[in-house]
Amino acid sequence: MADQPTSLERFVQGILPENPVFRQLLGLCPTLAVTNNMKSAITMTGAVLFVLFCANVITSLIRNLLKPHLRIVIFTLTIATFVTIADRFLAAYLYQMSKTLGPYIPLIIVNCIIICRCEVCASKQGVITAGADAIGQSIGFGIALSAIAAVREILGTGMFFEIRVLPAAWPDWVVMVLPPGAFLTFGLLIGLVNWYEGFRAQKAGKIEG
Amino acid sequence: MTENANTMASESQNAAPVIHVSPSPHLSNQALTTQRIMFDVVIGLVPVVLMALYVFRLYAVKQLAICVISCLLAEALFTKMRGRALSLKDGSALVTGIILALSLPGTAPWYVGLIASVVAIGIGKAIFGGVGMNLFNPAMVGRAFVMIAFASVLAAGGYQDAGSTVDAVTQATPLDSFKQTGAVTPLFALFFGLTNGSLGETSALACLLGGIYLCIRRTASWEIPAGVILSVVVLGGIANLANPDTGWTVLHHLLGGSLLFGAFFIATDPVSSPMTPKGKFIFGIGVGALIMLLRIFSGYPEGVMFAVLLMNALTPLINRWTIPRPLGAQ
Amino acid sequence: MTENVKTNFFSQAWLVLLLAICFGAMLAGMQIALGPTIEANKVNETLERVPEMVFGADRARELADREQAVDVTPLTVGVDKAGKTVRYSVFEAKTDGQLAGWVTKTAGQGYADKIEMLIGFDPQVEKITGIFVLDQKETPGLGNKIVTDEWRSQFVAKSTGQSLAAVKGKAKAGNEIDAITGATISSKAVTDIINTAVVDLREPLITKAKGM
Repeated sequence: MADQPTSLERFVQGILPENPVFRQLLGLCPTLAVTNNMKSAITMTGAVLFVLFCANVITSLIRNLLKPHLRIVIFTLTIATFVTIADRFLAAYLYQMSKTLGPYIPLIIVNCIIICRCEVCASKQGVITAGADAIGQSIGFGIALSAIAAVREILGTGMFFEIRVLPAAWPDWVVMVLPPGAFLTFGLLIGLVNWYEGFRAQKAGKIEG
Repeated sequence: MTENANTMASESQNAAPVIHVSPSPHLSNQALTTQRIMFDVVIGLVPVVLMALYVFRLYAVKQLAICVISCLLAEALFTKMRGRALSLKDGSALVTGIILALSLPGTAPWYVGLIASVVAIGIGKAIFGGVGMNLFNPAMVGRAFVMIAFASVLAAGGYQDAGSTVDAVTQATPLDSFKQTGAVTPLFALFFGLTNGSLGETSALACLLGGIYLCIRRTASWEIPAGVILSVVVLGGIANLANPDTGWTVLHHLLGGSLLFGAFFIATDPVSSPMTPKGKFIFGIGVGALIMLLRIFSGYPEGVMFAVLLMNALTPLINRWTIPRPLGAQ
Repeated sequence: MTENVKTNFFSQAWLVLLLAICFGAMLAGMQIALGPTIEANKVNETLERVPEMVFGADRARELADREQAVDVTPLTVGVDKAGKTVRYSVFEAKTDGQLAGWVTKTAGQGYADKIEMLIGFDPQVEKITGIFVLDQKETPGLGNKIVTDEWRSQFVAKSTGQSLAAVKGKAKAGNEIDAITGATISSKAVTDIINTAVVDLREPLITKAKGM
């Protein structure tokens, strides 16, 4: 396994080069559904961080005991457990937020980011690398969600974290807090990221050539 | 190749010159450039614009100016971003701007026209690859965006401004007053357009004049408005028979709202409608049926915009169904 | 492969079983620890609103300041409707042993999704004392205005004798409510929910009040 990335590489990759949302297009269900305000986006990121970190660490710890054909069962079992914990925790201590997020917390179980990280990283590498990978990927997820939520909340309600940032005369773009706003913002941001990556690749190509 | 065969066959059979807009390769008329089509559309729109100016006065001037200028600027900006040569001269942005303005209420605040124009050109057209590549009618994409974004100023209630000095603007729109209170606007007012509504939709007469000009010039294909009107007549007739007491007859359905404006100027956009005559007719029927469905059963008083957008989405499918068969082929 | 099926099964699946038992135990512990808090959250969400529904926001605050307790007893009222029993959860509010009013939790179809709301009545169920929207997913900017204090306050002191109607423009008659501009459907949905609840609960609650 000499060619596996190191902890630091795993951590950095998750943030932009392999950003789960913008580059891998994983976990789109929460990306589209809970990004109409910053608070939901941040809470969702927190829940994903918790579940991904725990699932990655546990998977990494038992990686030598895994039977290849039973690994998916074990991943799912682990993920479901921590999702339930996160869901109950929110219901107990952040009741309003848990009502707002509704089914999207339980749906983290089927969030591809987590099973993907368990499969790609945690089931092959050590605990520290798996942990770093989880944190990196969650930060990447959080950046993506916050970027979309910031655009949608500011344009849609004139507020940021429920604090008014645009003048009261701002006509709220209601469409931005509705589902179409999620698709439009997400599409335009992917375009922006791709354009940036292309720009960077071009520059790198020039230096090499 | 199939189109060649088909065109030649039909031309040898019918004496009248028929221009079929079919997929390439085809025998093209060199005069039929984007610029000429767009210029024709502008001429066709003249009666509608004049009527809007007459009925809505300064409201119409303001809305037209905002939409046309912002559409042209947006076109310039997006073509520059894409690194293409400036294409303002083909007039497509101008047409989008005029149609967009005519489909909005004059009372809408300035930012509505501006944002609608940027969305129309940017998301409606530039993202798909510019003129000729767009899947949806750009003007309707822009209008749908602002309609949902600023529902409070663009929903039926937003058309009214009781304190206005322009008569038309003080009333509720015909479709809305019918939907809410059952009041029937006289046919005469609907025909000449002395009612409230979006700028271009009020006068059935102006839409017919401009529309018939476009059909004679073959800039617009007559199959589309014919299909729309046919299905509205049939479905409106059934609705009227089912509920004869309302007083809202087939003619009200035809002349009221933006039906004729939509049928002649919006649905006929050559880029986002099907290519074959048969496909165009199916498209028209579909638009008309959806309009009636939305008018009668939805919460909105009018359904032209959503009907056209939905049928735009079906256009590739209709094209596939109606591929012309070469002469003699099985 | 001389092992029999049973040992083979265990050798394959022991990790899954072990993890399932560990995780199950974790979740059970979690439920024991957090379950009561979650239940309390759910009940409190409604209970906290009861004084406001019965007395109005100002008096409710006053009562709270004077630390005068409002005793709230949750009940379930079954109403027979077309052969089916519809259950309403009703809260009985008492101050100093005197019946102060009723609050019911009810729901109905809105424009986008279910609207869940509380409705307060006076002890004789003659008037509405307040309404509150617990949960709704109506269109932002239009239909979601049903949650505003301004709109909700129209319902206060409406008689339960006539069914309410949401009208466009200005409400004139005593049983009319101003519909929200551009959101007639959401407004009608709310009045319908209230009308249904009034029809269903009037008789049972009056009987209950007399029985006390």
